[in-house]
Amino acid sequence: MALIKKRRIAVTGIGMVTPIGNTAAETWAALLAGKSGAAPTQNFDASGFTTTFSAEVKGFDAESAVPNRKLLKYASRSHRFALAAAAEALSDAGIAPTESDSHRWGLSVGAGMMSVAYDDLKVVHDYATDGGQFDAAGLMNPDFPGNPVNFCRWQSNAGLGLLTKQFGIRGYATSVHTACASGGQALGTALKVMRRGQCDYMLAGGFDSMINPIGISGFCLLGALSTDNDNPTGASRPFDATRNGFVLGEGAGFLVLEDWDRAKARGATIYAEFAGDGNSLSCYRITDSPPDGNGPIQAIEQALGDAGITAADIDYVNAHGTSTQMNDRSECSALKAVFAGRVEEVRVSSTKSSMGHLIAAAGAVEAAVCCLAIREGIAPMNANYETPDPDCDVNLITGAPQPMRIRAALSNSLGFGGSNSSLVFRNPEEVKP
Amino acid sequence: MKNPSEKIVFTGSGIVCGAGTSVAEVWERLASGETAVAPFTQFDGTKWPVKVAAEVLQDNRFLVADRKLHKTISRTDMFGIYATESAIEDSGLPTYREGLGEEETIDFNDRSGLIIGSGGGNYTSNYEYLPLITEAKGELPGFGRELANQVTPMWLLKNLPNNVLCHVGIRTQFKGTNACITNQCSSGVLAVAEAASAIWNNEADRIAAAGHDAPFEPEMVYYYHQLGLMSGAAPKPFDAGRNGTVFGEGSAAVVLEREADAKARGAKVLGEFLGFGCCSEATGILDLEPDGDGVRRAIEAALDDAGISKADVGMICAHGNGNQASDLTESMGIRHVFGDDIPPVTAFKWAYGHLIAASGIADLVMILEALKRGIIPGIATLEEVDSLIAPFPVSREATKPRSDIALLICQGFGGMNVVLAVRGRC
Repeated sequence: MALIKKRRIAVTGIGMVTPIGNTAAETWAALLAGKSGAAPTQNFDASGFTTTFSAEVKGFDAESAVPNRKLLKYASRSHRFALAAAAEALSDAGIAPTESDSHRWGLSVGAGMMSVAYDDLKVVHDYATDGGQFDAAGLMNPDFPGNPVNFCRWQSNAGLGLLTKQFGIRGYATSVHTACASGGQALGTALKVMRRGQCDYMLAGGFDSMINPIGISGFCLLGALSTDNDNPTGASRPFDATRNGFVLGEGAGFLVLEDWDRAKARGATIYAEFAGDGNSLSCYRITDSPPDGNGPIQAIEQALGDAGITAADIDYVNAHGTSTQMNDRSECSALKAVFAGRVEEVRVSSTKSSMGHLIAAAGAVEAAVCCLAIREGIAPMNANYETPDPDCDVNLITGAPQPMRIRAALSNSLGFGGSNSSLVFRNPEEVKP
Repeated sequence: MKNPSEKIVFTGSGIVCGAGTSVAEVWERLASGETAVAPFTQFDGTKWPVKVAAEVLQDNRFLVADRKLHKTISRTDMFGIYATESAIEDSGLPTYREGLGEEETIDFNDRSGLIIGSGGGNYTSNYEYLPLITEAKGELPGFGRELANQVTPMWLLKNLPNNVLCHVGIRTQFKGTNACITNQCSSGVLAVAEAASAIWNNEADRIAAAGHDAPFEPEMVYYYHQLGLMSGAAPKPFDAGRNGTVFGEGSAAVVLEREADAKARGAKVLGEFLGFGCCSEATGILDLEPDGDGVRRAIEAALDDAGISKADVGMICAHGNGNQASDLTESMGIRHVFGDDIPPVTAFKWAYGHLIAASGIADLVMILEALKRGIIPGIATLEEVDSLIAPFPVSREATKPRSDIALLICQGFGGMNVVLAVRGRC
């Protein structure tokens, strides 16, 4: 295939709603301070569950954070985070779709699983069960209070519909879900859409909230969550030998992506070049990660190749690092395979150690963290790390954030089901005209 | 980066829906004007205002022989695995791979992708929690304590929206670029568009693209009915008497690769992917632009992407879901582009119901058959074209395409419009 010069894409806006801050600035400050987002669960009475804590978004006021309040009626908890984070990203970028260019704006989102709210399920239970079993005839009871507004909220692309309407985005729009890799894959899709010229601007990100009885149940049943109920803030300790599961988080992260030359021409702040995307399927087992990193390795190598750089150009890796035994071991195998002799020089941290695992939002939030780390010249730490694991002997940033000039950063997202997403962000100073 | 000298072709297809479990069988039903919409069997419809659907009546073992897998996947996943693997089998790629050496096989797998459009989830899966809610008397602490005794540990895994991607991956070792698109009706057609784009962009050498969904379930019927979207009989797209859609269920899939690669391995070619358009109307979750402008923009983008003019188009397969506003605005969008010279239009939901995430891609598989045979199946339920839509070139009888190029229109919740342009092969 002929070598065609790839269109260069700039990151010019960032927005975040996370368990450690309701804006990008708050989240970043909390990351540098090593603050933990984990605490006993407040959204509902979790006292009977095997895990009673989580990393919740706190003190979030949708009424003031979401520009078009009329949309809130149709918005689930995760949609509210998305609307707020996307509004912040656009305002940070200082641009927004207009009448004349709205068809050149696109949207790509990683959306959470469409599980129904416990309260809605309780209503179905109360009207339409017979001896604990579902009985469809109950839905025909004239008193059944089923509400089409709730129905709309749980449609797979409801978040997409709310976001395009909120901001008047009229070009390409997509919604993807590959479990924990969703956010990364959504950003990767956005990069591809822009490079092939279908959009000049994209809003790309992820949103999720599974901190509800049904969401928590799924993970408790699998035994995937840390059960350190007496020590929530220390429970997420990726790569530590004593790690025992992830901490469920929630939130949203969005980036504004823009044609590089247009961004330069309008004098925009460019956080980073969104330089590469890599994407593979492990084809191993549904929850287990391949111990030798076969799968993640291909995603990382593709991302480096796509960015036109090599492993020697990466200074910082924001790891998927969930704090489960298997994931962290598999990811380290992949990093050691890709970076080989340089693995000592590459600094690594998982910011899930502070904010927990934001599932479908994780990849997008962590990409935003990479962009901020490049711009601010400091990489966040891998909090709660105490006991080394010989299988995870990568060069972790521990104890405090690491001031460092980052030429390029890699962000990994490895999902249930085996989808792996790796993204490369490059320091704008490294971009040769 | 699209390279116009590099053609992307379809080399395999597969389908399962109420109208059949093979491309030939579904085509036969479609061409003979026989609908699969019938009184449903999955729950008692006696007290329900809607009593019909186009159900898949084969048992799970027909769809997925491995019974161990049945415990870890849901109904929609059965359809998706069946259709995707049928398409891969049809392409001849597994046999081709068997002839490769060890190193070549590793490279083949790393360069083979899967892009799956998924319905994303359903209501029925949550009913596994209902006995627990009864047991806990509606109190959450008891719900949490009794959880592990009442609900399968596999619950989350059974209901992952990306299950088809995962399991087809494990079973076929297609390890390359992948995505699971959860964009309601647009999911399956966007999977095809992204697959072609990924091959053009050299991210993969071959990709199986699929869409799967099982929207027919009591709560979906209830809410669609409440919203006025549900008919009590096979849908009548563009008809004066249309009154809504009917659910089907199932999956369809295609395999895409470069024409040169297909030729080199002596594969049969079903058609060519020419281009696509995708746009949002920014109207929220349910609303549509009243003038069909989103449909117009998506068609124009697809023509432009394909490098063809409107005069080249030989037929249109419309979304035609049988709803008042949707069919009307769709016809307006088509008229905006084609004026008074609209090529023959058809729509297939009367035959196999609305497959939601799989709807557009099922239509695609049938369009490739239609172009191959030079026959456009008519809309068997059509009686009289709506006067607000007429004159409009739809017909009850089969017609002939004006050329070997078809446009496929897919509309969805969220104000989505996706249009594919394809060329058929005789």
